[in-house]
Amino acid sequence: MDLLLHLRYFRTVAEEQHFGRAAARLRMAQPSLSQRIQRLERELGVRLLDRGARGATLTPAGRLVLAETDHLLAAADRLAATVARVHSGAAGTLRAAVPPGLGATAVAALLTAFRERSPGATLELRELPTAEQTAELTAGTLDVGIVRHPCPAPGLAFGPTLHQPLGALLAADDPLADPLTGPAELPAAALTGRDLVLFPRAEAPALHDETLTACARHGCTPTAVLAATGPDFTRGLVLSGGAVALVPRTPDEAGTVWRPLHGTTVTWRTSTAWPEGKDSPAVRLFTDTAHTVLREHADMRTAPSTRMVFPRPASEFPL
Amino acid sequence: MTAHAAARRRITTAFADAGVTGQLHAVDIDTGTALGVGSDTLVPTASVHKLCLVATLYRQSSLGLVDPTRPVDIPAENRAPGATGLSAMRDAARLSLRDLASLAVAVSDNTAADLLWDTLGLDTVNATMTGLGLTRTHAVQTMRELFATVREDAAGEPAALTDPAVVARLRALDPTRTNRSTPREITALLTAVWRDEVCPGEYGEELRAVLGLQAWSHRLAAGFPFDDVRVSGKTGSLPTLRHEAGVVEYPDGGRYAVAVFTRAASTDVTLPAADAVIGGAARIAVDALRT
Repeated sequence: MDLLLHLRYFRTVAEEQHFGRAAARLRMAQPSLSQRIQRLERELGVRLLDRGARGATLTPAGRLVLAETDHLLAAADRLAATVARVHSGAAGTLRAAVPPGLGATAVAALLTAFRERSPGATLELRELPTAEQTAELTAGTLDVGIVRHPCPAPGLAFGPTLHQPLGALLAADDPLADPLTGPAELPAAALTGRDLVLFPRAEAPALHDETLTACARHGCTPTAVLAATGPDFTRGLVLSGGAVALVPRTPDEAGTVWRPLHGTTVTWRTSTAWPEGKDSPAVRLFTDTAHTVLREHADMRTAPSTRMVFPRPASEFPL
Repeated sequence: MTAHAAARRRITTAFADAGVTGQLHAVDIDTGTALGVGSDTLVPTASVHKLCLVATLYRQSSLGLVDPTRPVDIPAENRAPGATGLSAMRDAARLSLRDLASLAVAVSDNTAADLLWDTLGLDTVNATMTGLGLTRTHAVQTMRELFATVREDAAGEPAALTDPAVVARLRALDPTRTNRSTPREITALLTAVWRDEVCPGEYGEELRAVLGLQAWSHRLAAGFPFDDVRVSGKTGSLPTLRHEAGVVEYPDGGRYAVAVFTRAASTDVTLPAADAVIGGAARIAVDALRT
């Protein structure tokens, strides 16, 4: 017997105090409704209603059961609603991650926007390098992440790719940072001969190499590449003079100035990632939120037009 | 010009770091702006001379003097020595002249090159170069003949070619006694090819396409590891010699002819740093021309 269903029938009869009107409200036949109430009474082992010529009235036991029925059905309704919200991504705990260096504004905006869109859900957000994110996504300890590409793809699905242009973080007294004489957009080649500050290669070797290759492609050959993990150390190296940090747009503060590179020559490709086939509603909600937030608060753009590729004979495949 | 002077210094340092002496010439094909280190030094061209050979085939074809589709019978015997292509294959074959040119460029096939030398003649190739104003570019032997001098001079096991005393007496390394040119003249030839001055229209396009077939990326192409940059080139190698000449094309329309000729102090056959410095030096030069 479906207890909750039978209790709903009982409550309707109690409210209408009449089997015929209750059956009509429930859009079912009266004999069927009567049988179900009898079945409920047998199941509970107590008489709930007195049937008379003018209708049905609650017995004292029936009044007690009705009070409990209200509690029980309300709890069942709450349970159903919660389940529905879990299904729609509006409730539950989502384990998510962002890559280092995404920027304070973007992280704050992501948390706020997700909370707004999904008030009942808990977003458990951590900062993890891409390599650790992919390991955790594969292991099932992370539901969704924002990763930098190149990112290993087996077993993962990705949201749309965004490009985050890098610029130069300069000491405020650097001639290149001068608002009057310095260029508004730096040619990459202008950084040749400087020490370049970048995240440690071990953190993401492929991205590290790709970034320096993109610099080289546009005529920037640094004298040395210095590794810095956090924004503070990065800023420190820049403030000491000589070194220039290659980072996404950063607010000008404490003696440093950020300048974009001319023609957005060096960008970091970024997207959301989740285990293939596990794009739950919560994951989709996070992905959509991230896509919006990253464009509005992390200076990311949708992919530029397809670029030219000349495959070489040594690549062993034609395009 | 101080930027170019700095680039020349960096190129010389790069050569020294890699354990080679080298000559380089790089030129912007459209503006003629150039940068060089030892640009007019006479150098033994080795397989780089296949550029002159293949360019001559297409020039003769465009003048109606040669049919590039003419089939050539290639017997199994008497092939020029070589590690690749027809030189390494065992059985008789039949290929067109232009497909022999593709093999001569793609894998530096010595047999394919010699069949072209036999067809065109050393004199025609030399006359073509002179006609283009390249008076110091001269071929005196086919690949077969070149390796015959190496065998005679070495007079021993292949290992003799890593013996410094033997290497020092190789005629094949003496630019007065083997096929020769200068870095400046080789970039002039490439410039002429890319400006349609060797042969116009579809012949010019096909010639450039053939020069883009080279399969090896450890020398010139190693300096330009960018998807959107096209590198066409022809290598040349003999004991202690590592060369490559080619054209580097950027998507913004910039195109640069570069010739790099090196000679290593070490007689080792495997010297990755010496191969890589060809691309490294070329990059320094092209970067300087682009700024």
